[in-house]
Amino acid sequence: MRHFVGAVRLRDWMSSLPTLQPEIKIDEPDLAYSLERALIGQHPTIVKMRQLIERVAGSDAMVLITGESGTGKEVIARAIHALSSRRDHPFVPVNCAAIPHDLLESEMFGHERGAFTGASVHRQGLFAMANLGTLFLDEVSEMPPVMQAKLLRALEDGVIRRVGSDRGYQIDTRVIAASNADLAAQVRKGAFREDLFYRLQVIPMALSPLRERRSDIPILIEHFLQKACDATGRNLTISREAMVHLWSYDWPGNVRELENMVQRLSIMCHDDLIDTSILPPDLLSPNRTIATEIPQKLSETGLDLNAMVHELEGKLINEALKRTGGNKQAAAKLLRLKRTTFAAKLRRCGVIAAVSEDSGSEL
Amino acid sequence: MTVKNTYDDVSDGVSGAPIARIMVVDDDPDTVSILARYLRREGFAAVEASSGAECLKLINQGEIVEIILLDLMMPDMDGFEVVRALKNNPATVEIPIIMITARDDIDARAEGMRLGVSDFLPKPVLRKQLANRIHSQLEMVATARATEATLNNIDGKIAGAGKQ
Repeated sequence: MRHFVGAVRLRDWMSSLPTLQPEIKIDEPDLAYSLERALIGQHPTIVKMRQLIERVAGSDAMVLITGESGTGKEVIARAIHALSSRRDHPFVPVNCAAIPHDLLESEMFGHERGAFTGASVHRQGLFAMANLGTLFLDEVSEMPPVMQAKLLRALEDGVIRRVGSDRGYQIDTRVIAASNADLAAQVRKGAFREDLFYRLQVIPMALSPLRERRSDIPILIEHFLQKACDATGRNLTISREAMVHLWSYDWPGNVRELENMVQRLSIMCHDDLIDTSILPPDLLSPNRTIATEIPQKLSETGLDLNAMVHELEGKLINEALKRTGGNKQAAAKLLRLKRTTFAAKLRRCGVIAAVSEDSGSEL
Repeated sequence: MTVKNTYDDVSDGVSGAPIARIMVVDDDPDTVSILARYLRREGFAAVEASSGAECLKLINQGEIVEIILLDLMMPDMDGFEVVRALKNNPATVEIPIIMITARDDIDARAEGMRLGVSDFLPKPVLRKQLANRIHSQLEMVATARATEATLNNIDGKIAGAGKQ
């Protein structure tokens, strides 16, 4: 199972997020770096993003990357680093949400021996580890106010101070920050320092969620399938129908969720063909807003009967309209309802327009 | 659920930014008027077209819209032909197209996917689904424009930032 090392590592990484000692990986410089291969897609937002990365990489301007979880914020940060003159120096990613608040300062700036209980050796800190390279501060919105102030100071002066030391150290570290929360909204709420926000966001880079750029879904699927093929020597393909279902799904976990799904499907599939028979039920539901499960028993916590009846009604009305090609009279008959009752229910279910192929009628 | 017109907020920060314009293309006048009325109630500007040809004519005359809601089954020129024409024109290739169709089948979706449709909306059109899809595409348009704006004045920003 050599080929699924990547999948396992990703899962481990995800489950290991809230650990006390986050694993810090320092990358070897990538000589054959290709931006097209790192940030995949042909959607206009991605094409523009690649142009922006190339421009930004040539400078040390501060970048703030925003986007939902799984959209590839770290991919962008790595790309900027890999294309910059800092590429031969470390890229140090750090998830600010994964480090307990009281350890954050010593993790970031280092500490002297004996600075606090348990500080038996001196530690250089992530800023210093990334000296001449790039420090990637993910989930920067999770940083407590005290650390926000210290970070701002370090960015303004280019000097860091280890915990327990009076001496400042000059550093040359490029900082790239990222957040999946709306940082501007955090500023308005008073949860994030305005001065730090403007300091970080000289160049804003916003990543669209996958559901906003569906045209890239087939391209990404092909890419992840090819990766699985290269690793296994198999010749995996996907059926047109399965592709359409993957294309239609909303992917709340974005590219990362899609990658995990393709990996999972490539393990599960028979005869090297991914078809609809192995797709999870969520992906097969053609109607993304209507729940499919109607419980037969009342659970401990109870349920909202009105909402459930409403949902069931909407689902069956939709079914009836589909089956009759949008003909309301026939649909009403199918459901043993008077035409007027049916029309009233339609309105209540939020149907705006149901138009049959031949007649075309207003609701 | 109502659609918050975030596109206005993000456009370029200038007050009185234009309201998002959405074109509705359907050969059935009732559908066009219902959808247009709904869109106007939600605070958008609705542009109505009764055929694929009229949609292309309006666009070629300089009509600028953020999104096109396009019916698939239309006489003379079907939705796919309209998509092909829009995607072959560099001026219109980036306009997101949400295809509305009673033919909620795999073949239609596959063809739409192949041609570069941004999303599908099955008939009967549900308010919530329409709102979600419009919201998504307007967010995308806002993101694309923000990136474009950053690209256009990046030299100033980089020069202003200087070396750390």
